Amino acid sequence: MKKLRKLVSLTLVLALAVCMLAGCGSIAGSSTPAADAGTGSTAADNTDTPADSGKTVKIGVLVADVSGEEALGFADYYKNYITSNYNVEFSYTEQLADAAAEKAAIEKFAAQGFDAIISFSASDRATQIETCSANGLYYAVASGMLDDEQYEQYKNDEYFVGQIGPSMDTEYEAGYAMGKYFADQGVKSIAMYGAFIPNPMHVYRAAGVLAGIGATYGGASDKDAIVGQIFGDQGIDLSKVGAGSVEVVGYFQGFGDTTFDELFGCIGSQPEAFLSVGMATTFFTDILNENGIAFSDIDSFTSANGTAMSEGKLVYLAGKYSSSVGPIFAAVMNAVNGTPVRNEDGSALSISQNYLVATDAASFDKYASADKGDSPIFNKEILDGIIGEVSAADFIACVEADRG
Amino acid sequence: MENQKNELLARYKCRQMILTLLPLAALIVLFAVLCITVQSKGYRLDMYLKIIFNESVVLAVVATGATFIYTLGSFDISLGASTLFSAACGVMAYNATGSMAVMLLVLFAVAVGCSLASSVLASVFGVPVFVTTVAMMSVLSAVSAQIITTNGGALGGISIPSEVVKPFDVIWFKVLVLAVFVAVCIFLFDFTRVGRRQKFLGGNPVCAKLTGINLNKYAIIAFVMAGIGVGIGAFLTLVYTPSVTTGTASSIGMNIIVAIVFGGMPISGGPRSRIYAALVGGFSYIMLNNILKILIDTNAGYGISQVVSAVFFLAVVYLTGLNYRSQLLPR
Repeated sequence: MKKLRKLVSLTLVLALAVCMLAGCGSIAGSSTPAADAGTGSTAADNTDTPADSGKTVKIGVLVADVSGEEALGFADYYKNYITSNYNVEFSYTEQLADAAAEKAAIEKFAAQGFDAIISFSASDRATQIETCSANGLYYAVASGMLDDEQYEQYKNDEYFVGQIGPSMDTEYEAGYAMGKYFADQGVKSIAMYGAFIPNPMHVYRAAGVLAGIGATYGGASDKDAIVGQIFGDQGIDLSKVGAGSVEVVGYFQGFGDTTFDELFGCIGSQPEAFLSVGMATTFFTDILNENGIAFSDIDSFTSANGTAMSEGKLVYLAGKYSSSVGPIFAAVMNAVNGTPVRNEDGSALSISQNYLVATDAASFDKYASADKGDSPIFNKEILDGIIGEVSAADFIACVEADRG
Repeated sequence: MENQKNELLARYKCRQMILTLLPLAALIVLFAVLCITVQSKGYRLDMYLKIIFNESVVLAVVATGATFIYTLGSFDISLGASTLFSAACGVMAYNATGSMAVMLLVLFAVAVGCSLASSVLASVFGVPVFVTTVAMMSVLSAVSAQIITTNGGALGGISIPSEVVKPFDVIWFKVLVLAVFVAVCIFLFDFTRVGRRQKFLGGNPVCAKLTGINLNKYAIIAFVMAGIGVGIGAFLTLVYTPSVTTGTASSIGMNIIVAIVFGGMPISGGPRSRIYAALVGGFSYIMLNNILKILIDTNAGYGISQVVSAVFFLAVVYLTGLNYRSQLLPR
C-alpha cells in the first residue's frame, strides 16, 4: 500500500513536471507586441505602433516603496493625471524586495503583453535592462539614475529609453546645499539623522551635509573619500567628524525600537538645528516642533510638510515634486510610438533633475500649488511638447528648464 | 467483531490515503486553475509557467533540504539569511578569483558551515536549535549587509558578470539540479536508516535515545543536508539574477514553513514527515500566489493577495491537521 502510494505520488509529480516543461517550450496563442518581440523581433521592427492603431499603451511600474508620501505622489500623478490625459494604462507591482522579484515582475509584464517598464526600484538595474531587452520591453529609470559604469554599458541598448532623476552627484549637492544653508545662517551646533544609510542615496546626501557645514570626515573633505568612508562605517562615526564652524553634537540613523531614545538623546545635546537626509518629516515632526528645534529634510512637497513649514519648525526642505516623473513617461511614449528620443550618438537619454528648495511657507506654497493633482508642473501642455517627433536637445531643454 | 475491526481499519487507511494525497491533488488543481486563469486573461502561458518555475525552484530546493531538520522536530529560521550570506560570499569569491569553481566551493562551504554552526552551538550550549538559528539569522543578515554595502557602494549590491551564469539560466538545467537533489534526498530519507531514525527522533526523542540512536549524529546529517540545499539555492539565486542585495532571499525563511505545511507535512516532524512535501508545497504556494496576483489587481490595494493567501494557509493547516489528530499511532 505504502509503495503504491509513493509510486502514485512520484508519477503525479513527474506528470506535472512534464506538463510544465511542455508548457515552457510552447508558444501560447496570444500575440502582443511584447510577446512578438520576445520571440525575436527588434524595436525597429515594431512598425504598427500604438499611436497608429489607437491601442492603449500598457506600462508596468516597478516599485520598491508603496507607502511613502513621495511614492504615493508619483503613483497619483500617473494613475490619475496621466491616464486621464493619454491613452495609457499603468500597472504597479507590489513592493519589490530584491533583484529576483524585479526580474520576475518584468517577465510577468512581458507575459501580459505590456509595452514598457518604468522603474522606481533599484535592487539590480542591470538585470532589469537585460530582462526588458530580452523580452522586447522598453525600459526607463524614473526618479533615479544608473551608476556611470552601468549607463556606459547599456546606453546603446535599443530598449533602454533613458533615465531622468537626481544623480548621486545631485544627491550630494542637495545635502551640501542643506548643510551650507545652516552654516550660512550662523548655526553653531547641529544633530544629524542619517535615515537609512547605507542606502546609497542617503550616504551621498549625508556626505554632502558634512561637506556643506565645512566638516571633514576621517580627515577627508572631498566627496568620494567621505562617501567611501561612510559606506565602510555603515553610518557616521562622530569621532571621525572634524568640525569646522559647525559642530555635530548628535547622530543616529535607521528606525527601530531605540530610535526615539536616540532622538531624545540628540535633543538633550541641545543642537541649534536638526538636519535629516530623509524621512525625518515622516517620523519626527511632532517631537521636533514640541522641542522647538529647527529642522530640515530632503523629501517632497506634501501637505504634511507644508503644515510643518508654516506652523512648525521645518525651515528647509529640498523636495521632489510628483510630476517630476512626467518627462520619463513622455520618453517612454515616444519609444513605444516609434519615435524614440536618443542622444546624437544614438545613446539613451540621461538627464539629472535637481531638487526644488523651500526655506519658508511662501516658497513651499509656490512649489506645492504649482504641482497640484489637476494642474501639475509637468502638465499635458508641456508633455505634449515633448511627445512625438522631438530632438534630444529640445527634450533635455524642456526637462532642465527652471520649473521654480 | 473481527470484520468490524477490519472495516474500521480499512476506512481509516482510506481516509489516511486521501489526506496524504490531498496536497498533491491541490497542486494539480492549482496548476489547472493557473492555466485556465492565464489563458482566459490572454496572457502567455509558456512564459508564466517558466516564471513560476523560476520562482519556485529556489524555495523547493532549500525547503527540501530543510525537511531533514523539520523531521527532527527542530526549526531553522535562518535559512533565508544563510542563502543570502552564501550568495554574498560566492560573489565575493568570484570577484576575487574569477573562478566559477572557487565560487561554487565557497558557496557550498559557507552554506554547510553556517548550517552546522547552528547545530553545534545548540549542542554546546544545550539550547533548542531554534534559539541558535534566530541568533544566526541576525548575525548572518548583519554580516551580509556589511559585505554588500561596503563592496556594493552606490550600486547598493554586489554582482558577478551576468555572462558567467547566463548559460545556466535555462529551465532544463534547473530541472536537472532539482531532480538530482530531490532524488538524493528521497533516497536518503525513504530508503536508508538515516531517514527512518530521523523520523523516529522527531516522533519520540526519548524512546529513540533509549534505543541507542545518537541525536547529535542525525542532527548533524540533517543540518548538512539543509546546508547543501541552501548552497544549491544560493547558486540558483545567482543564476537567476547575478546580483546580491540586502533583500536577497529575504522571504525564503518563512516561505519554507508555508511550503512544508502546504505539502502536507506536520511542522512537528516525526514519522509523518515527507520529503516531497516541500517540493509539492513550494510549487503550490507559488502557484497560489500567482493566481491571486492575476485575479486581484494590485491597483485595487496592496497586500490583498497576501491576506487571501493567509486564509488559504489556515484552511490547509486545518485540513492536513485532520491527518495527524487521530488517537491512533502513525502507521
